[in-house]
Formats: sequence, C-alpha cells, structure tokens
Amino acid sequence: MGLENPFVPYLATLKSVVELTPDIKLLKVELLDPAVRAGFDYKPGQFALLSAFGQGEAPFGIVSLPQHRDGLEFAVRRIGTVTAAIHELEPGDILGVRGPFGNHFPLEDYVGKNIVIIGGGIGMAPLRPVINQILEHRNDYGKLLIINGARTPQDLVFAPEFQAWMEAPRTKLELTVDRGDEQWRGRVALVPNVVKEVAPSPDNAIAITCGPPIMIRYTLAVLKELGFRDSQIITTLEAKMKCGLGKCARCNVGDKYICQDGPVFTFEQISQFLEQP
Amino acid sequence: MDSELIQQIRSEASYLLKDGTVKCVIGYERASDGLTSRPFFAYEPAAVERLIFDETCTHNLVRYLLDKKREKVAIVVKPCDSRAINLLLNEAQIKRHMVFIIGVTCSGVMETSCNDKGQALQARCQTCQMTKPLVYDFLVEQKLVERPEGEPYLDIQEIETKPIAARRAFWSEQFGRCIRCYACRQVCPGCYCPDCFVEQLDPLWVGIRIAPKENELWQITRAFHLAGRCIGCNECERVCPVDIPLGRLNRKLEKEVKELFTFQAGLSPEEQPPFATFKKEETLGFEE
Amino acid sequence: MNLFLSKEDLIRWLDALLRQRVLVAPVRVQGLILLQPVSKVAEVTLDFGNTTLSPKGWFLPPMETLFSVQSNDGQQKLVPTTIEKDAVIFGLRPCDARGIALIDRPLLREPSDALYRERRARTSLIGLSCRQAQPECFCTSMGSAPNDPSHVDILLTEIDNGYILQVITEKGRALLSESFAEYKGTLPKPPEPGAVPTKEVVPAVKKLFDDPYWERLADRCLHCNICAYVCPTCYCFDVRDYSDKGSVERIRGWDSCQSPGFSRIAGGYNPRVTKGARLRQRFAHKLLYFPERFKDVACVGCGRCVRSCPVNIDIREVLRDLQQLEVKSGS
Repeated sequence: MGLENPFVPYLATLKSVVELTPDIKLLKVELLDPAVRAGFDYKPGQFALLSAFGQGEAPFGIVSLPQHRDGLEFAVRRIGTVTAAIHELEPGDILGVRGPFGNHFPLEDYVGKNIVIIGGGIGMAPLRPVINQILEHRNDYGKLLIINGARTPQDLVFAPEFQAWMEAPRTKLELTVDRGDEQWRGRVALVPNVVKEVAPSPDNAIAITCGPPIMIRYTLAVLKELGFRDSQIITTLEAKMKCGLGKCARCNVGDKYICQDGPVFTFEQISQFLEQP
Repeated sequence: MDSELIQQIRSEASYLLKDGTVKCVIGYERASDGLTSRPFFAYEPAAVERLIFDETCTHNLVRYLLDKKREKVAIVVKPCDSRAINLLLNEAQIKRHMVFIIGVTCSGVMETSCNDKGQALQARCQTCQMTKPLVYDFLVEQKLVERPEGEPYLDIQEIETKPIAARRAFWSEQFGRCIRCYACRQVCPGCYCPDCFVEQLDPLWVGIRIAPKENELWQITRAFHLAGRCIGCNECERVCPVDIPLGRLNRKLEKEVKELFTFQAGLSPEEQPPFATFKKEETLGFEE
Repeated sequence: MNLFLSKEDLIRWLDALLRQRVLVAPVRVQGLILLQPVSKVAEVTLDFGNTTLSPKGWFLPPMETLFSVQSNDGQQKLVPTTIEKDAVIFGLRPCDARGIALIDRPLLREPSDALYRERRARTSLIGLSCRQAQPECFCTSMGSAPNDPSHVDILLTEIDNGYILQVITEKGRALLSESFAEYKGTLPKPPEPGAVPTKEVVPAVKKLFDDPYWERLADRCLHCNICAYVCPTCYCFDVRDYSDKGSVERIRGWDSCQSPGFSRIAGGYNPRVTKGARLRQRFAHKLLYFPERFKDVACVGCGRCVRSCPVNIDIREVLRDLQQLEVKSGS
C-alpha cells in the first residue's frame, strides 16, 4: 500500500507510551503489516514521518535500534498541532508511518574512535540510538563520553537509561541542568560550559551533538577551542518537511535537502552550505 | 510625463537622503516594459535619478511602510494612498514621525493591465474627487485634469440590482477561479495580521484548500475584516492574476459602512472607526 | 510525413477526441485564457498567446486528495486516490511542454509520485507552435523554441489556411482516428522571441548568493504566491489533513517558497526569515539547485511571471543583473 503511492503511510499501532518529561513522550509503535515490519530496515540517524490522521504528519528521528525487532521508537516533544495530537494517542490507537528516510550516522567509520555525545533537551533523541548501538558493540569503540543537558532536572531526557549508560565500561555520563531544584544534587551549568570543563581530547575522537541552535553554536566554539576539526563534529538538522521524498522542495538549506542529503551532516559540510540552518 | 514634477520629487528625495533625514525613499521607477512603473527604493542620493512619477504610477506604496518600521523613510503618495497612511496611523501601525510624506496631486492613473496599457483612466479614478493627499510633509503639484463628478458606486449598484440568486451565481463563478495566491492580502495596507486566519490550524477557520466553498469563505471573511477599513485603492483587484473583481466586494462594504455609520476610513488620522469604537448613545435599533 | 488539417478537419478531430476522453483546451473566460476540460469543441479558443495559468495544474492540481482515511468498525483503511480518465491536452505551447518535462525529473524520480505519474501516463499532449512571440517571451534562451517538438506527442503549426500536423510519438499517432492529407510544404519560420543572457548563470547565482542584491530586489516583493502558481516549473506543494464529519482526507496543494511561513517549524523558528532570503530561494532553486540535481535550469521562458507579478520582478532582468554583477566582481 505504501510502496505504490509513496505518500500513503503504513498503518501502525501504538504499543506503549513512556512519559520522559512533562512535554516529551517515548512512543513504541508496531507496523501492522508483518511483511512491512520485516522489510523496515533502518540505521541510527534516519527518520520517519508519523501521521496523526486528521491532524497531519511530521518527521521524527527513529530512536530504537534496528536489531530489536519489537517495534519502532520515537521521542516526541509536544510543541505544535501534530505533536499535540500524537501526545493524545493511547496504546492501541492507529497512526501512520512513512519511512525510513534520510542518511544515517556512519558508525562504521567511527570504529576504534573515542566518541563524545553532547545533547540538549529533545536533541538527545537522535543521539540515544547512537549511544545504545555503541553499548551493544562496546568493544568496537574507544571511550564514550555522554554530556546530557536540559533546562531543569525534570526535562532531562532518557532518565530510565542513565543507570545503564553510567555503568557501561569505559563510559562516562555527565548530566547537567540550566536550573536545579530542591532535590537536584548534580551539576548546574550550561552544556557548552560542561564541555569546556570536561575537556574531551580531539585525538582519534568524534563529537556528535544535537540540541537547540544556541547550544550548538556555543558547543561548536568550545569543541574548536579544544582542537576538534569541523570534520570531527557531527550533527543532525531539522527542517519543516512535507514529503520526505525530495519532491515538495521545502526542506532545503541552500542546495542540500535535509530529507535526502541529511539529516546527518558534519560541520565541515555545514560550513559549505549556501544558507545556514 | 511632467519633467518638472519629477525633478521636484528627485531633488526632495536627494536632499532627504543626503542629510540623513531618511534611510530610504519609497517611490516609483520605470518598469521593465519601458511603459509602466513599479515600486522603487532609493537608498543613496545617486539612486534618485531613477525616480519617476506619471499616470502609470498605480501602486499603493503605503503597505511597504509595514516592512520598514525600524527606520525613518520617505514615501511618495497619491491622494488615495494618503488615506492608507491615515488608516495605519489611526491603527497605530506606523508612527507619524517615522514617515516623511512626499504628496503628489493627482487626477487619476491609467489602466496598466496587459490588455489595456495606457489606454484609459482606471475605473476607480473616473469618479474619484480627491486631488490632493490628505496628509503630507512636502507637496508636489502637477497640472490637474478635471474629472466629471460621477456616481462612485455604479459597478456595485449593477450587482445590487440583481436578485440574490443571480448575485450568488456571479460571485460563485468569480471565486471559483481563485487560486489562493493571497496577492490581494499581501498588497493591501490594511492586511497586516502576523498570522492570517487562513493559516491558523486550531481553530481551523478556512484552511488552505483551494476549492470554491473555501475560496468564497476566504474572500468574504477578508472583506469583512476590511469593512470600515478599506480605503478604496483597488490594489486587490489590480493584482489578482485571475481577474476577480475584488474591489467591488470591498467597496460594497465601504458603501454599507458609509450609509450606516456616515464613516469612511482614512480621512483623518484621529477618526473613530465604527467597529473599534463604542458609543453609549448608539442603539442601532435596539430601543428600550 | 507531415499532415495537413483544415480548420474543419481540426474541429472534427477534436470532437472525435472529446468523445473518447477528457479534452483539456484553452478557453476564453472573462479576458483570461484558462486551460480546462471542455464539453463542446466550440468552447475551445484557437486565438490566444498563452494560457494565464500553466498546464502543470493538470498534472499537479492546485488541490487534490492523496488518500482518505475510512473507518469501519474501528478498523482504519487508507484509500488512495486513483486516476480514472484518459485525457488529452490540446493547445500546449512548446515552452509549457518543456516545463512539464522538467518537473517530471523530481516528481517521477524513484519513489515516483503516483498520482502525477498516472496522470502523465494517461494524458496525451497536442502541442501548438507559436505564430507570434509575446513581448515577455524568451523561450529560445531557456532551451525551448516556439516550434520545439521535443516534449509533445503531436505538434500542430498554424498556417494561413489550416494546420500542419507532425506526429512526434507513438502515443500521438494513436490519437489520429482518421487519415489526413499529406503536407508537402516546408514548415514556416518560427517567430523570434526576445533573448536573455544565460551563460554561466548557475555559477553566478552561487557566487552572488550572499550579495545584497537579493535583499534590495525583495524590497518591492509582496511575497504573494503568484509567480510560483503561474510558473510551469514551480512545483512546491503543501500536505495537510482535513477532517470533516468523521472522514479524514490528506490533501496536497500548491504552495510557494515566498510565503512567510513556508519554512517555519513548530515552535516558531524560521530559518528563512528575511524577504531577501525568501526571494533568493526561488531564483536559487530554479537557477542553481535544480540544474545541479537535474541538469537544466528550471525556467522555460514563458514570461508568465513577468506578466503577472504585480510589482514587476522580472526574471529576465535578474538574469541580466546576475551577469553584470558577476563581471563586476571580477570572475
């Protein structure tokens, strides 16, 4: 059904919902058609377009791992019409899925390297499958540093996984918030400042970052100061999308179409963009 | 083309730019067809040589003031355009001290559509009695041609005399051609909502569907939003790529407001628009 | 072998076509020339420059349903739209035919746009050479010509006492239900539209991407959708869901990169917020991004945007300006 007309989504059912923060939910979705389910192969970094029928469709990074065949996971922040409708869905409800689209994090190129993951707020979503993929193939990679920041402790994303991340071998998890609360005993600092303080080495390292534009801007500056080259810093871009197929001509940043050439780019590539995201 | 008139505009523009009174002069220049004109923005004194003014200068430049609120600009206005300035002053969209108004006296502009270039006076000008802008800082006078005092709403009366069914059929046919390009909205000095109602999703008033019923709802709602505010420049009708007589719709409501409230928009910057003013003594038929 | 049709032959032939399929032809409506399905050949106008809107609207309609969502006892089913009818477009100017061929490239590229593909497959194109060029035409500078047979199934050329018919494709041959006389003469010389310099336009746009030219040009732009909507090669579209009394439809409709909210994402961030950036996007897409991906510039020189733009933003002028600016900047 979806293949003949690429605008027609696959039907899927919502299996489970986990409230990660007051405005972010982790949804697990199962495609209804077993043949489609079997053929839906994706890599960390790719995205799908989810439909809340009647409200619309929007792109979301796929945050589960492809080898776990128990459903597709998406972390959705409630911010507009479609995301609000998705937040209203309950297990058993039907939604639409189109995908997978886009390029992926080239983890195969990072084998043997030290990985620095820097995420802010919902920006942690596309980074989560990268972290988990590394942890499932731990010996293929060097040191893993995860810096995860949010506005407040309640807004830290993927709290249920922090324990597993902290306990993994050769892995460090640094949590930070912009504003603490009475219970918070951890760091209160902006993400770029934490990067500066922890000062990861650029030697044989790759930094992958995703978060609000202002966080990216200052994090980029810190990483460059630490000696990271633009080609060592990776991010994933977002844009307003309608088709995901390179046809509606809406998601381009200069001559790059986020749905086809991206969403994963190195900062070396981004510095060559004609427009800035 | 009146070269003395143009010289006056150019020298005033040059003077304003040279001493830094304004950052930009919004006027007209010759269009690429060599016949008609188009808006022109002069930022440097040397650029004023491109400014012109003649009977093809049909555009209402006042809507550009909404894009240039941060800096003081000068603008060339005809009498009808000056009503738009009063409207925007009245609705607190522009500040008087941020605009230097170069007013030009006028006895009408020519048709500029491809079919009738330069052939005849525009319909809206044929019955217009205004010759001098209502507000200006510098007045440029040109030789005026007497226009006969005609009935201003003849084209509207033509529709008013038809029975309702015929009127409905007429407008359904017209709106059926609408392609929702929103040129009518974009060119209108009175349409400046940051989020137009057609783009709102929740509640979904009209939506973006290009279909006869939705087109009708779009046009009629816009006309109602302009009731008591439309200053009759007819730009909406001029820009429509599918020749919908939008001016008639908006001026019909202008006529209704004039008859009901003895009010016309844009005649003074301190007017009290009927739909934005509450007067205790107004009962409009709801007697005790 | 070229064929000759008298005007009566033409009308009879169109009438035969009308009986078998939808005939889409130029119709005079209140001073406009609109391309629309006709119920009688008499509605067709043969005397026109070009249609007000381009024929892309037949293949990529201003609004269409992609699929509807039907609920039956709690089960949801997605019902895609299907194209049922065969059609023939009559009176297609060569520039517009090239326009369709150009938008084929993104829309038919895998995965192909099903509705567009079906309409293309089921629609035959009868082109009509131009006898006169309009003041705004510049097709010969953009890879087309008033008598270019490249992208039609049949090409007609009007001469004083009738029409010369050239069969271009087998799909065109299948439209001929009767045999016409052979035309042994030569084809008339086509008119010469105005010329516009286009050498090196692609690198010029790239080089001048950050030039203040765009912001200045955009000063007078109203950011309406006219240029994109009348253009044969603009194909941006919007997709939205509409629900009405329990049934849901996903609609696809025309959109334009000029509208202020085009790239705005939920939450309010808009990467293309200035007028200059938006205006530049349209020209950069046509003159740089499209040729980089699909080989040719996405403009066919039909002149519609020049005629319809309320503030005379003239692509021919932009092309000339870009050349001059490039020379000045010392390429």
